[in-house]
Amino acid sequence: MRTTARTVVTLILLVAASLFLQGHKQPGGGFIGGVLATTAFALVYVAYDLYFLEERVLGRELASRDSAFGDRTVGAYLRLFTVGIALAAVAGLAPLAFGLPYLSQTYVILEGLPVYHELEVASALAFDLGVFCVVVGAILTVLSVVGAE
Amino acid sequence: MSTFVVAPILTALFTAVTALLLHRRTRLQTAASLAGTVAYAAAVGVLAWRVALAPDPVGATTYQVGGWPAPFGITLVADALAAFMLVMVATVGVASLVFSTRYVEAPEEKRFYHPLFHFLLVGVSGAFLTGDVFNLFVWFEVMLMASYVFVVFYGGPQHTRAALRYVALNLVGSALMLLAVGGLYATTGTLNMADMSRRLAEPAAYGISVEPVVGLSALLLSVFALKAGLVPFQFWVPSAYRAAPLPVTAMLAGATKKVGIYALVRLYFTVFAAAELPVSLPLPGVDGGSPLAFFAPALFLMAVASVVVGGFGAVDADSFEGVLAYSSIGQIGFIAIPVAIGAAASSPALRRLGVLAGLVYALNHALAKGTLFLTAAATRSAVGTSRLEDLGGLASRSPLLGSVFLVGALALVGIPPLSGFFGKFLAFDVAVRAEAAVAVAVLLLGTGLTIAYTTRAWNRAFWGQQSAAVGAADVDPVQAAVLVGLALTIVAVGVGFDPVYEFAEAAARAATDRGAYVDAVDPADVETGGESA
Repeated sequence: MRTTARTVVTLILLVAASLFLQGHKQPGGGFIGGVLATTAFALVYVAYDLYFLEERVLGRELASRDSAFGDRTVGAYLRLFTVGIALAAVAGLAPLAFGLPYLSQTYVILEGLPVYHELEVASALAFDLGVFCVVVGAILTVLSVVGAE
Repeated sequence: MSTFVVAPILTALFTAVTALLLHRRTRLQTAASLAGTVAYAAAVGVLAWRVALAPDPVGATTYQVGGWPAPFGITLVADALAAFMLVMVATVGVASLVFSTRYVEAPEEKRFYHPLFHFLLVGVSGAFLTGDVFNLFVWFEVMLMASYVFVVFYGGPQHTRAALRYVALNLVGSALMLLAVGGLYATTGTLNMADMSRRLAEPAAYGISVEPVVGLSALLLSVFALKAGLVPFQFWVPSAYRAAPLPVTAMLAGATKKVGIYALVRLYFTVFAAAELPVSLPLPGVDGGSPLAFFAPALFLMAVASVVVGGFGAVDADSFEGVLAYSSIGQIGFIAIPVAIGAAASSPALRRLGVLAGLVYALNHALAKGTLFLTAAATRSAVGTSRLEDLGGLASRSPLLGSVFLVGALALVGIPPLSGFFGKFLAFDVAVRAEAAVAVAVLLLGTGLTIAYTTRAWNRAFWGQQSAAVGAADVDPVQAAVLVGLALTIVAVGVGFDPVYEFAEAAARAATDRGAYVDAVDPADVETGGESA
């Protein structure tokens, strides 16, 4: 399982990123991308254990194994969640400065990119990035806090 | 550009985000939260002024979120009805949040209390402002997410039990609502309320059949009744209200419950009333064959049952907030009775009067019940308990608390010159005009029960010998100031009732005048591809 996880986690994260980027006109977007990215972390949690990320990947000493709320990773998830919701809200606000309604959007098409060749980058991407952060932050907080109980 | 329409939602959203970002600095967070609430009240004030209260109001105003035109995008509609509900929520919200700064004091409690409170406001405001049926469902969920956490806020066994019941019921409710919304889309081909209303008025032109709408709207009725806590969907109310922090309960009873009533009025009177059915119910007092006429008897029965169940439950409750929680069930019945009579009526004047009476009563209930729940909260933080058997002699220990309770209780009963008098008066007026003897009898019985349980609470808690716990109680000055402010508002609404009546009448007109609502939203004509007139 650990062997599989090592390869699959990278693949999941790549697919999550591509889903996130193509979300404007094709299936995908911040929510789906975020959920998929979360499964990568969940796989690490299942294949190794709840403290693997903090102890082995980040090389930190664990304060205690009793309560997940004290963990720095959980703190980071909470921050990710907060930053995400702030980003989404502010991204919606930006069009007001141009005299457009809340959540208005526009796009540019980038050409000549490797692999993608042509990619539509919408201003909604900032909002989607916020959604992505909220989803990843919220689900991982729940997973690690409930998982530690 | 009518940014003022979206302003209440955005103010609350940004306050919530700011409070979340500041969750480690509790003092700064409280300051930001207070400032945000004031800004919210100001945004609501501007909206109400522009839409309804100004000498030259602009009337219903729309806002196309994201610049997508109706009916494709999500339209926000601010009309007098939404403005009336928002003002009610803002009043209770400011009082409740200022009160909370002295009620929720432990840092670990404070951290997420303030963000959640504002997310609750976001959900409630969104529900009042949206002009899209599916979006209404989304705002309901936003509101429910916040209230789920509040019910389980203290994390004890009884809180978890109450939350489980609350969550399970509301999940079923949400699933039913989603089903009904999907069905409405399949039937009418639109989710925009104005577009739906227009299509239902001319089903032949759009090739839709109106019969399924009756059943789907019945599903929605049960969902909204669940949110409002009408019998037979009332059983989550007492435990949830006792479990949540009491200032939030003031919000739940004063504001969140009213979202159910608002949704009933908005969808039935503005949207579903448009449909004409070939059959009608063979019942006395029911005219016409619109889904409105089908819904009237059901709502009436539920309202009558609520008055009875809530009243008797309150007489028997053993704690201060228990009395108030059961009383909320009964009072929602009082709001729903005139609305049901109005729904059954065929004359537009009586229909409008029914909605008007419901709205005025809702305002009175929000103010009075908000005051009473905050009185219970002040009692609990001063005395340490709110069980009626441990209380006694509060009025002699704190005459202020006693008088505030008296004002709230008398407003609930309906004594002039308080706000409750006009609510009761209009409800009786509607019942008498519709010659509904049953309604008059139930209203009388309900009033009798209200007198009984408020008197009982007064006797147990405020009258008589001071109990040991009460003898050492001191009321926090900030809490006292909030209570006095609310009590004065109740008196002011009662004494200067005329502008309130005009506001409520404008709101009732906005609810029943379908044509004006459709014109304001002016959804593009999808079928013909052209601009609508």
